[in-house]
Formats: sequence, structure tokens, C-alpha cells
Amino acid sequence: MANATTDAASDTSTLAIPVHVSYIQKLGESQDDLMYHLTSHLRLNAVYWGLTALCVMKHKEALEREQLIEFVMSCWDEKAGAFGAHPRHDAHILPTLSGIQILVMLDALDRLDAERVISFIFSLQSPTGSFSGDRFGETDTRFCYCAVSALSLLGVLDRLDKDRVVGYIRRCKNFDGGYGSDVGGESHASQVFTCVGALAILDRLDEVDSETLAWWLSERQLPNGGLNGRPEKLEDVCYSFWVLSSLSILRKMTWIDGSALERFILSAQDMEAGGIADRPGDMPDVWHTLFGVAGLSLLGYPGLEDLDPVYCMPTDVIERRGLRKAWLALPRREM
Amino acid sequence: HGIKRTKVDAAAIAARREKEKEKLRAYLESEKEILDLKEANEWSEAALQLTEQFLNTNPEHYTIWNYRRDIFTKLVFVSWTPEDAYQRLVLDLRFTTSALKRYPKVYWIWNHRRWCLENTPSGPGTEPDSKGEEGIDGWEMAVWSQEVLLVEKMLSLDERNFHAWDYRRYILSHCPPSLRRSDADELAYTTRRIEKNHSNFSAWHQRSLVYTSLWKEDPSQRAPALDQEFELVKNALWMAPDDQSGWLYHRWLVGSGDDVTILEKEIGVIEELLEVEPESRWTLDTLVYYKRLLMKHRSEQGKRQLVEECRRSLETLCRIDPMRRRRYEDIGKRILEAYSYNVAYNIQGATL
Repeated sequence: MANATTDAASDTSTLAIPVHVSYIQKLGESQDDLMYHLTSHLRLNAVYWGLTALCVMKHKEALEREQLIEFVMSCWDEKAGAFGAHPRHDAHILPTLSGIQILVMLDALDRLDAERVISFIFSLQSPTGSFSGDRFGETDTRFCYCAVSALSLLGVLDRLDKDRVVGYIRRCKNFDGGYGSDVGGESHASQVFTCVGALAILDRLDEVDSETLAWWLSERQLPNGGLNGRPEKLEDVCYSFWVLSSLSILRKMTWIDGSALERFILSAQDMEAGGIADRPGDMPDVWHTLFGVAGLSLLGYPGLEDLDPVYCMPTDVIERRGLRKAWLALPRREM
Repeated sequence: HGIKRTKVDAAAIAARREKEKEKLRAYLESEKEILDLKEANEWSEAALQLTEQFLNTNPEHYTIWNYRRDIFTKLVFVSWTPEDAYQRLVLDLRFTTSALKRYPKVYWIWNHRRWCLENTPSGPGTEPDSKGEEGIDGWEMAVWSQEVLLVEKMLSLDERNFHAWDYRRYILSHCPPSLRRSDADELAYTTRRIEKNHSNFSAWHQRSLVYTSLWKEDPSQRAPALDQEFELVKNALWMAPDDQSGWLYHRWLVGSGDDVTILEKEIGVIEELLEVEPESRWTLDTLVYYKRLLMKHRSEQGKRQLVEECRRSLETLCRIDPMRRRRYEDIGKRILEAYSYNVAYNIQGATL
């Protein structure tokens, strides 16, 4: 006969905020874990994921502000003038965006040598309009999004040749209305987000085949309510953000079943250890924890902070900087 | 991603950490040693060795890949003989091959491969070929021809690995001219992949790229190719009507619906399928889509008929696919609005 503890552990019908907050707080305590160190190439990104998740759950204060800022600044690569993923790691555009996002959320952008970062970002742009991740030249639409988002958060989007970037994104559009990692890359929900997000920031959503793409996105929903990233693939909680935010930007979030998705995300929670996994029964991690709560926020789950789907940051932060675009999320339900 | 959760108690976690302690200590010590050398600008063979051992344990440490490449640039390509440098690169490619077997989706490993290819030093030439093409030497040929084989191996292991497909496209567009595939060859390759597995969206996507480029160069090629393509995709739709790949490709082939002959013919093909599977949602959805396109070719009465057919199909869709009900309702509204506008203003050929 099931006892109360078992019932509580398996009842995932609500978002267990306290246990997820504690999970995020404990992440920095895994210094004795080999796996913690094997993922140091993602550390600054992970701090951004954790902090944003806390903000969405209205527990921003759970991580100490000054400590966070210190950590961000310790990732500064003085030679390159941008952020690496971890102290002593080389600068790269992915952790650079994360660093900027964290400083913006903590209202500490003044700690940044903005001009150096801006130089770094522009040094990564190619004549075709695409962006590399670092000096070694890997090209990916993810980096395009990072550059556009970072420049916009720093208030210098006007320095960008927008038409050139838009032209590049246009060339990444596929026969199904979706976008890939580079020109010719197969459509994938995360790349759809990066391209649609970048176009939203650049006020060029006219470039998108809205109806076709929204259809492609709506077809990511599987019978179990979860979303996949491309045809015939498995559902994964992180697509609750990549797909959902894209739909929100296209103002077509109603084209999927929000309640079914909500139930799916909630069922992927680890109610004991905290955190959210890619799907029910799997190990949680901070990436899926963020994208799970981000998805829930867009779906109007009660008690959460509003999240801007273009920037994946709290809406009040984005609105204060005058960067809000015309996206549409589901209305926040009462508790 | 995809790691099963297991119930672990504090004792089990402590035991694991004890076991890993030595491994962790060694790992951190190695990392520190390498980063110290890097920051001291040491470009030595010893450092090269250290990075290789380290990357074997953790191929996702991009900073150490960077250091390795810098050692190549500052030492190997500068002070070694071209022959030694080439051999060293071949070893690196082999190293990434075995790394990719364990980690087929790690961006950093694929990146390093590209870098190796792009930095292969010029070597002794082979016999000049009959076309007298420039720049092809024995080393380049050896290295690039290996890549085509590797990428086909990776794709046979996982047909949907987009890293492998991206890499394949890169190889085929950058390799020495004599290794390039003709469009016909590439189409044949995708046909083989599709026939093996109709659900291979990545192969359909590749096909769309080849044709897009072909038709851009020579628009007259489009019409004859279409007949063949419609046949191919019709098979896929019949074999697997619940699979998205064929439907997306079919819609792309039909395009804007300006060619009414094609549109009517394909509507016929889809309606045949519907007779066999009356509640197949892709079939219904596609029919609505094509009928909307057809409206611009029809008179007022014809339009009215199509609007009614769409309305009924959308009703069925709401019933069989409640998850996406709002989409079907939105489409229904749009059709009605456009039709009413049409009627009110007596406008011919308005897009719905």
C-alpha cells in the first residue's frame, strides 16, 4: 500500500518550487563531483540558466548577488575582451552572452568593459552576415542570435549592419519554413528559435513564413503532450522553450495544447532531489530546469514571473531597457 | 540528456565520490598543468601530448582544443618539416574519428576535424590529372577522400545526425573537384537513404537543397523533375501516411499552387489516399491547404464548394487532433473571412 511519502514523491501535478530552488542553490556545491568538472565548459551558461530559473520562480535572492558578479567577472578573458565559460577558459560568444545576461539581470552592467566586448562580437562577424563562435571560425545561427541579443542588451544594435544579418538568416530558411544551423542545415527547433529570435530583435519578422513555420512548430507536439525538436524525434522538455518561445513570437501559442504540455513538463520534475529532466524518469539538470520553468511561465502557470521569449529573461528587465517586442504568451492563471 | 534517474542515497553518493576522488584529483591536476603551460605561451611537443591525453578524457573542453590548435600553428607548422606536420595532422584526424565514435554529436570534435582539413599543408603532387586541375596534391586527396568515407559511416550509424549531414555538405562543397559529387549522384544518394527509410527527413531535406540549387541555375529543369519527384513522394505517403517527412516535401513541390494542373492532379492523389484512410490527419490537413490554393483558380461557385469541403475537413481535424484544434479553427476563420471578402467585393483570385 502506498504511503504518504511515496504519494508525495510521485505527485507531480504542481511545480515544486522550493525543492527546485534548493536544487539550483546546491549546484555550486558539487565540487567533489567529477561530472561537475567535466562540464566546466558550460559553467557560465549554467549560472545564467540557474539564475533565470530562480527569477522565473520568484526566488532571485536565493543566489548571492555579489558572489555571482564576482564569478562572472572571473570568467573574463583579458586577452580577447570577452567571457569564457569558466575562469581560465577562452572567450567564446556563448558564455559571453550568458555573462552579459547575468549582469543585466543583476543590474551590474557597469562592471563590464562594454567597448571591448562589442569589439569582440564584431570581430566574429563574416562578410556574409554570419557570426562565428570564436577566432576559430565555427559558424552557427546560434552565434548570430548571441551576437544580436548581446548587442541589443548593450544598447548598440544600431552599430550592426542589420540588412546583412537578415540576408544571412534568410539564406538559412528551409523548404519547410524552418531554420538550420547554417545555410543548408536541416530545420531544428533550437535553430528556429535563434533565427526567429534574432529577426524579432531586428524587427524583421516579415522575413518569416509565419503560417508554414507555425504549422511546423505545432507539429512538434506529440501525443504525450511533450514537444520534440524536429520530425520523428523524441519529446524533450527543453523544446518547451525553443518551440514555445518561437510560437509566442509568432503569436500562435494556441496552436498547441498548452495543458497537455504543462502536464508533460511537470511530470519531468524530480520531486525529491529537485530539478527538471528532459523527460519523466531521467536525471534532472539545470538546463532542463530553466527551460521547463520558462515553458511553464509562457504557458501562464500561476505564481511565476513573466518571461520574455525573445531574450529568455524576465520581462521586467527587458521592458526597462525598452526592448520588448510584440510577442504573445498565455495569460497568467490565478493560483 | 537521456540519462535515467536512479534513486541514490547519501551513502551511495559518498561511496561514488570516494572512488572518483583519485580520478578527479588527476583530472584537475592535468587541467591545471595544461592551462599553466598555455598561459606561459609554451608551444612544445610535450604540451601537445598532454592536450591529447586530456582531450581523450574530456573532448568537450574547447579551451584545450584551442591550445592544441595554437601549438600546431606556432610550432608544428613553423618548425616541423611539412611531412612531419602532415603525419601529425593525420594522427589528429584519426584521434577525432575515435572520439566521434564515442561522442558523435560533440560540436568541438567536428570543428577540430574541419580545422585539420583546412590546415593540411601542401604536399608533393600526384600525377597531374587529365584536366590539369590545380592544387590537388597527394596529401589533400588522401585526407579529403577519407572524409567522405567517414561521414557516410557516421550517417549509416545515425541517419538523423545533423552534425554528420552538415559535415557532409561541407566536405562535398570544399573537397578537391575530382572528389565532388554531381547533383545526380547526390540525388541518388538521398534516394537510397529514403528508400531504406521513408522517415528520413534529413534525406528529404538534402534532396530539397540539391533541387533548389539545380533549379536556380536552370529553371527549365524544374518541370521534368517534378513528375519524378511526385512519384517518389507518393510512394512514401502511401507507405507511411503518418510520417511527416513526405508531407512536408510534397507541399514544397506543389509550392504556390499557381500551376493548376499539378494542383488538381495532386489533390486527386491525396483524395485517393483519403479514401483508404479517411481519418489520416496529414491527409486531411494537406487537402485543406491545397484546396485553399485551388480557390484562386475557381469561380464564385467553385470557391463556395471548396470552402464547404474545407469546413468539413477542418471539423474532422478538430475531432481527431484536438491538440491542435485552435489551429484548425484559425484556418477555418481565415478561409471564411477571405471568402466573404471575396463575395462582398467581387474580387477574383484573392489569396486565402
